[in-house]
Amino acid sequence: MSKQLKLKIVTPERLILEEMVDQVSLPTTEGEITVLPDHIPLITGLSSGDVIAVANGEYVPMAIVEGFVEVKNLVVGVPSGTPTTITEVAVLADFAEHVSELSEEKIVQAKARAEELKKLMENKEHVDFEHFEAELERSLTRVKIADKWRTKKYRK
Amino acid sequence: MSNGKAIKNRIKSIKSTKKITKAMELVAASKMKRAVSSTLASRLYAEYSWEILTSIAQNAEELEHPLFTDRSGLPSRNVTADQRKILLILITSNRGLCGAYNAQVIKKAISFLKNLPVGKEGKNIGIDVVSIGKKGDVAMRRLGVNVIASFIDLNDKISLAKIIPVSKLVMDEYTALHYDKVLVAYTDFISALTQRANIKQILPVSKTDLKEVIENLVVGVPSGTPTTKSQKEQKTTYLFEGDKVKLISSLVEKLTRMQIYQMLLESNASEQSSRMVAMKNASDASGEMIDDLTLVFNKARQANITREISEISAGMASVS
Repeated sequence: MSKQLKLKIVTPERLILEEMVDQVSLPTTEGEITVLPDHIPLITGLSSGDVIAVANGEYVPMAIVEGFVEVKNLVVGVPSGTPTTITEVAVLADFAEHVSELSEEKIVQAKARAEELKKLMENKEHVDFEHFEAELERSLTRVKIADKWRTKKYRK
Repeated sequence: MSNGKAIKNRIKSIKSTKKITKAMELVAASKMKRAVSSTLASRLYAEYSWEILTSIAQNAEELEHPLFTDRSGLPSRNVTADQRKILLILITSNRGLCGAYNAQVIKKAISFLKNLPVGKEGKNIGIDVVSIGKKGDVAMRRLGVNVIASFIDLNDKISLAKIIPVSKLVMDEYTALHYDKVLVAYTDFISALTQRANIKQILPVSKTDLKEVIENLVVGVPSGTPTTKSQKEQKTTYLFEGDKVKLISSLVEKLTRMQIYQMLLESNASEQSSRMVAMKNASDASGEMIDDLTLVFNKARQANITREISEISAGMASVS
């Protein structure tokens, strides 16, 4: 078995995903990067988009909104043998959702919500505006990512 | 027997009240469970973001960020400042019937307002309030404190998205130099039976405080799950992609937001548990009341029967 890395996706609300994958692509603020096992330690910001993990040749796409990623190598002591390192990729996002959770129905809703929010944003107070802005970005990201993965194959 | 019916009616009304309080108790219990579990769920995020922050800090030697620097000592501000200002965020519930929960935190806030140190010119330090929850809002307005914003549409199920306006407002006001300090009055959830009203400073961020908060989160969880801290021994040097300053500032913003979120969750858990206890007491009290009233009712009934019998036998005696 080839070497794998440990992917963790965490939001303030819950732990979304924790599993061993072959590689993971992330939308950083500077562009898109792909992390393979034994990547050097890295910290960077994430923009909104999709985190695509590849596990056993299958894509596991997740829609995320803003956050950070921390890549580090953990030394795991095996009782009998030599210690090995595991690359851990921790994604801290404000929101994260598996693409399969974005069903057709939800996309339609998200689209409608995005439209509605856009209209509302024009005549809202400052405080509310922040909330709507975040909501809007979340809705738009959902729509974008769901559209992108509609025709592609991925692991549910 | 005139009051037999009245007693019966009272028993009936107390019984229906008991049903309601019992139902409220159960609802509060399940809501409390959810609130507690979401408090624990946010722990992991807190831990990771702290780790990232410390790794940045140790690589960048010194964290220089407006949210970190303590402004109270800056001379330039003291000279020009008309008054130094403090912003207090008061977290209360929207609804009553939850024991001393609201009263405690409001009392704490009021005593804080009274004990404010006196400013340079002998004037009080200006204080503004952001209220979360109707109860605190009403109390503060009655006191005549300047409430600059009130958030009363947060329900029991708090999501992070709902905190964004609160945290954004606070951070904008702070970075715009309107305030020197931001404090939060909230209720600490210690256990289902004990909650403590507390006032904590969130801005400027003090690194030791923040660390304490996060460590407390970790301690509050049953051990067994190895934390990331135990696994890494040596410090690694990280590669940073992008602007480090930007990274730090957005990380600090997120940590502050997370702290507010955490405090709201704590307060929510406290609210539900104190409501649960209050409703449990009410149900118990109504049970006792029903027992007492049933006893009174039975006594009255018995007295009535005895009287009737004696009347009949007296009538019999007079006839024969």
